[in-house]
Amino acid sequence: MLKYLIRRLILMIPVVIGMTVIVFLILHLAPGDPVDLIVGPNVTPEVYENIRRRLGLDQPLIIQYLKFMKSVIKGDLGVSILQERPVIELILERLPVTLQIGFAGFLITFVIAIPTGILAAVNRNTIIDYSCMTGAMLGISLPTFWFGLLLMYFFAYKMRLFPISGYGSLKHLVLPAFALGLTNAAITARMVRSSMLEVLRQDYIRTARSKGLAEKVVIYQHALKNAMIPIITLMGLRLGWIIGGSVMLEIVFSIPGLGRLIVESILSRDYPVVQGSMIVLTSSIILANILADILYAVVDPRIRYN
Amino acid sequence: MASLEKKAEFGEQISKQAKISSVEAKTKNSFKDFLRRLFKNKGAIFGAAIVLLLVISAIFAPYIAPFEYDKMNLPNMLRPPCREHIFGTDEFGRDIFSRIVYGARISLQVGFVAVGLSLVIGTVLGALAGYYKGIIDYIITAITDIAWSFPTTLLAIAFIAALGPSLRNVMIAIALVSWSGYCRLVRGQFLSLREQEFVEAARLLGMSDLRIIFKHILPNSLAPIIVMATLEFPKAIVVEASLSFLGLGAQPPKPSWGSILSNGKALIGQAPWISFFPGLMIMIVVLGFNLFGDALRDVLDPRLKE
Repeated sequence: MLKYLIRRLILMIPVVIGMTVIVFLILHLAPGDPVDLIVGPNVTPEVYENIRRRLGLDQPLIIQYLKFMKSVIKGDLGVSILQERPVIELILERLPVTLQIGFAGFLITFVIAIPTGILAAVNRNTIIDYSCMTGAMLGISLPTFWFGLLLMYFFAYKMRLFPISGYGSLKHLVLPAFALGLTNAAITARMVRSSMLEVLRQDYIRTARSKGLAEKVVIYQHALKNAMIPIITLMGLRLGWIIGGSVMLEIVFSIPGLGRLIVESILSRDYPVVQGSMIVLTSSIILANILADILYAVVDPRIRYN
Repeated sequence: MASLEKKAEFGEQISKQAKISSVEAKTKNSFKDFLRRLFKNKGAIFGAAIVLLLVISAIFAPYIAPFEYDKMNLPNMLRPPCREHIFGTDEFGRDIFSRIVYGARISLQVGFVAVGLSLVIGTVLGALAGYYKGIIDYIITAITDIAWSFPTTLLAIAFIAALGPSLRNVMIAIALVSWSGYCRLVRGQFLSLREQEFVEAARLLGMSDLRIIFKHILPNSLAPIIVMATLEFPKAIVVEASLSFLGLGAQPPKPSWGSILSNGKALIGQAPWISFFPGLMIMIVVLGFNLFGDALRDVLDPRLKE
């Protein structure tokens, strides 16, 4: 187990390095000059060169990358060109907001998807199953940001139950989290259903039934536990999607999260901020996937990694 | 005994002749059979109808749309849906229905170009990795794993940051973020198919690698690739809409469904119809492709079923 864990973590290193190279290259090969954005077009060449040198933009790309990585390892993600504050500070300020939306979204996903998936699997090929799966199909096709706008219109403008946009209280979180959770629940419910069907086919379920256990006990204690195992991994894989959806919803609801920071920084060519946030987000997604894999191995003793 | 053998031989000869003469008929029949099995699924009929409608509205947009998509009519602005403007008008008095009809062209174009490009990139890389194995496989797999671990929307946004906002760049960005799925799929197919006897035979006959890859292995792995492309099509449409919603895609006055939605965002309280109809269109089209893709998968490649 420990061996497997260490190997997984070591295998993560080239992926993270490759990811930083890609993020770094995308933004440094981009047309457009960040110095122009800071000083404007009417500036003497001396001042221009000075700022270019101060930002390290006069050095070869490879040197810039190595310097960048050296400080990243020390936890220093550089300084924002426009806001002149450490990137790590900006990220830490915004990250909790995105995490809250993501976490609340996951919570809603679970609350909706697990009962729906079980209901559909247990009542396979009945009207209940068909309606659950039709609902899931509709949910999968629902664009998250449009759904967010619809919720905003009905529950904030019409019924005035929630604030229209912004961030601050729990009430602000409800609509974006619901928009995120419901669309994600649609895909997850399908996974829960197929995982549950797979388990219900197993011999140990037949054994449990034949020894006279109540159907409820069979489903909730025997089947669900085993059906949840692959769901854990799938949820880890959904994290990237959740973060992408969160970006869109932060724009829809004007929430100052990490997603909006990235979009704003891209539009203003604030390289260090984009780089820093992309690296933080993608590393956490990679790490989350590995954690999900490890968790998978821990909860399912049948799986041995060699 | 001898007569039995003779009979068998005779039978074989007849069947051989029959085979030769019926090859053409057989392929026709199997295609008919394929269509029959495909459209036994009601979802497939519904999905195909939606896709067909999308194609028709894209081709015949000038005949279907009652107005030009960019025709402003300021006295007529922010009209709610009525007989003349069935989907209402926007803040410039432009007819939303006409804009949506023309917008079908953008969605369809993005779908075809982005999916086509990513399919080619992914298939070529996957074929190389799966066929040659060794160091080539190792490098391609590493790159694929990195590309796979990026959140799609975020990476697409980063590519747009580098390339600049435009519809063409959106298509490139979507292709660059979505090839990894094809690559994994094709690599897997090639890894198993290359060990098969018919490939061995082709190799012994002295065929070139290129010919073996394109003439012998690729046609045998076409079914899952087609299924994946059908299911990737709606994803491309949603990513384009998302990017245009963020202002990073189609630029005004181009009537991308995402940009119409984004226009309506600020006016959601006064004129909800501006955002409502394009979002609904995205959902219906995505639903159509998903239903069709799912049915196609069940018929072409049942193993892929979740």
